[in-house]
Amino acid sequence: MKNLARNQLLLSLAIALVAVASGFWLLSDPRGTLPFLLTLASLLGAFLLPISKWLKVLIGGAILLIVVPAAGFQNSFLFELGVQIGIYAAMALGLNVVVGLAGLLDLGYAAFFAVGAYTWAIFGSKQANEFMPVKIFPLPGEYFYLFMLLAVVAAAITGLIIGLPALRLKGDYLAIVTLGLGEVVRVLANNLDQPINITNGPQGITPIQRPPVDWFIAIFNQFGIQLDKAQAYPLFFYFLVLGIIGIVTLVNIRLDHSRFGRAWIAIREDEIAARAMGIPLLPTKLLAFATGASFSGAMGALFAAKQLYVSPESFTLIQSIIILVMVILGGMGSIPGAILGAATVTILNVDVLKTASEYLEGLRSSGFTINLGFFKYNFANLPTQLEPAKYERMVFGLIMVLMMIYRPEGIIPEKRRVLEMRESE
Amino acid sequence: MSQNTDVILDVEKVTKTFGGLVAVNDVSMQIRRGEIFAVIGPNGAGKTTFFNLITGIYKPDRGSIRFDGEDITGKDPAWIAARGMARTFQNIRLFGAMTALENVMVARHVHTKTSYADALLHTPRYHREEKKALERSMELLEYMQLGHRAQELAKNLPYGEQRRLEIARALALEPRLLLLDEPAAGMNPQETEELQEQIVKVRDDLGITIVLIEHDMKLVMSISERIAVLDYGKKLLEGTPKEVQNDPRVIEAYLGRGAVEGAQ
Repeated sequence: MKNLARNQLLLSLAIALVAVASGFWLLSDPRGTLPFLLTLASLLGAFLLPISKWLKVLIGGAILLIVVPAAGFQNSFLFELGVQIGIYAAMALGLNVVVGLAGLLDLGYAAFFAVGAYTWAIFGSKQANEFMPVKIFPLPGEYFYLFMLLAVVAAAITGLIIGLPALRLKGDYLAIVTLGLGEVVRVLANNLDQPINITNGPQGITPIQRPPVDWFIAIFNQFGIQLDKAQAYPLFFYFLVLGIIGIVTLVNIRLDHSRFGRAWIAIREDEIAARAMGIPLLPTKLLAFATGASFSGAMGALFAAKQLYVSPESFTLIQSIIILVMVILGGMGSIPGAILGAATVTILNVDVLKTASEYLEGLRSSGFTINLGFFKYNFANLPTQLEPAKYERMVFGLIMVLMMIYRPEGIIPEKRRVLEMRESE
Repeated sequence: MSQNTDVILDVEKVTKTFGGLVAVNDVSMQIRRGEIFAVIGPNGAGKTTFFNLITGIYKPDRGSIRFDGEDITGKDPAWIAARGMARTFQNIRLFGAMTALENVMVARHVHTKTSYADALLHTPRYHREEKKALERSMELLEYMQLGHRAQELAKNLPYGEQRRLEIARALALEPRLLLLDEPAAGMNPQETEELQEQIVKVRDDLGITIVLIEHDMKLVMSISERIAVLDYGKKLLEGTPKEVQNDPRVIEAYLGRGAVEGAQ
């Protein structure tokens, strides 16, 4: 027992030390990929290691609420990255309900993202004037929050509409049908500029209103921090995404711990047995589908406001597959897994591969030469096609193949929790 | 025939064909409330298909099934289960990735009155219902002597315990009728004996009518009050264990034509 306590203390000290060191390193070098990754690694370490809850909260809070925002002021790319991770993480959590818990392979998940994005894009821009009888658009930014809820509802309803025919199928058949119906949504967005211009077709919709941030700037002014709008928005979206991730995670955990979560897993494990235990198949599957869709819808609205621009290009099949990759990579059915999967894929995609490309480009233009005696290579001869950022899909494919061979259950596999009898409550 | 007319399950002239094969052929059966009834017959006689017809997994081509006075012919399995009919499976069908306790809790689904909003907001009703489901499930695990396995994954339990867990899960539906599909399959003699006592106990303690398919004749003959014999999808005969045991048609069905003459 004593040994155990001492080990835990040492572990706590070690992770705290790493977290502090990486935090300061990131603050002093906000553009560095390495300090950024180390900071995230200490965040992950704090979460996974068996240390006290308070220390986890302390390290997590310090990194997410202080270090990253402070570093982000000098390098707003960090906010961009954070928001992108957040959007993907929320979607991975949503897809996790559908694929991970209920075991329904959905390849058209980006469709719900599109529905959410267009819900705000159309009414938060002049676009709605094209077909609405009253020409009061764009709606002011305050309406964004209302439309985020509407996006949730719209995506859930789309989930029901797509799910009702599709969910009568199983496995591969379901995957193909959702893929097709997902594409239908994108094609609709692409072509609904005629006969009535609803989506503005392939040109997309821009500019889209953003929620006002004056109150947000005012709060920072109170603490003596001056912000202009260009600085405030990335920070604002960063905090908004953090908040939404919190809510989405909570919803996910609570559903998982309810009779609905149990019913989903039961259906995933054995449909016939689940039905024989009184679980109605189609309604339960539809519930999972609509729940997953609604998460995606909320993030769609946020995406539209952040980007100021939406077009059908953003909702292609590859988007659906990338989100699926995140879920599988993290561990199907696992909540921390979905978040970690989203972070890993996004960072790999927009940071690591890009940095690698830039590094090779640097070597090429400086004409750096490796000379190992027997092996000599001048980087100026490096073909310009060799650019890791362009191999994104190949790298994903490689990662997936390696995962399937060595760790098919994902990085953080789903753990069935220990239920405790609560005697006194 | 007995005078007891209180029939809980009334199967009338049910037929099911798969392509050219008549799996269940014009079978009628009346199960009385509170009895232990066995369905026996050689492999491929249509016993499991018969169970699948009753529980709604297959829809009969012809015939009707009434459960406690209500017509359930061709209804959804989940709907039938919610009305108080539970079953186990010949090839164990537990939810492997869930703990033993969770397996039982799944079957509490229809008795847990938590709405979606309750689950999201953790209302008092959520806590109350969750607690109730948990306690009842734990009780049933204890009842099947599986209390100590509550937190283990179902797939990690030894075979005999998996069979018992399936019964615990079925009981969580609070059924009036329990269908057991070869509950003793793969068990050693001692386990079979314990199971036999347990089945009688379930009927006596909980007042649940039990229909079982079983190949272990010792078990069948010692606990069932009545037995029906199926062969080639047809009901050969129905009667008390004694009547069935002494009927030459049963021996013939199991050992083939000519076996009776050969034995004499």
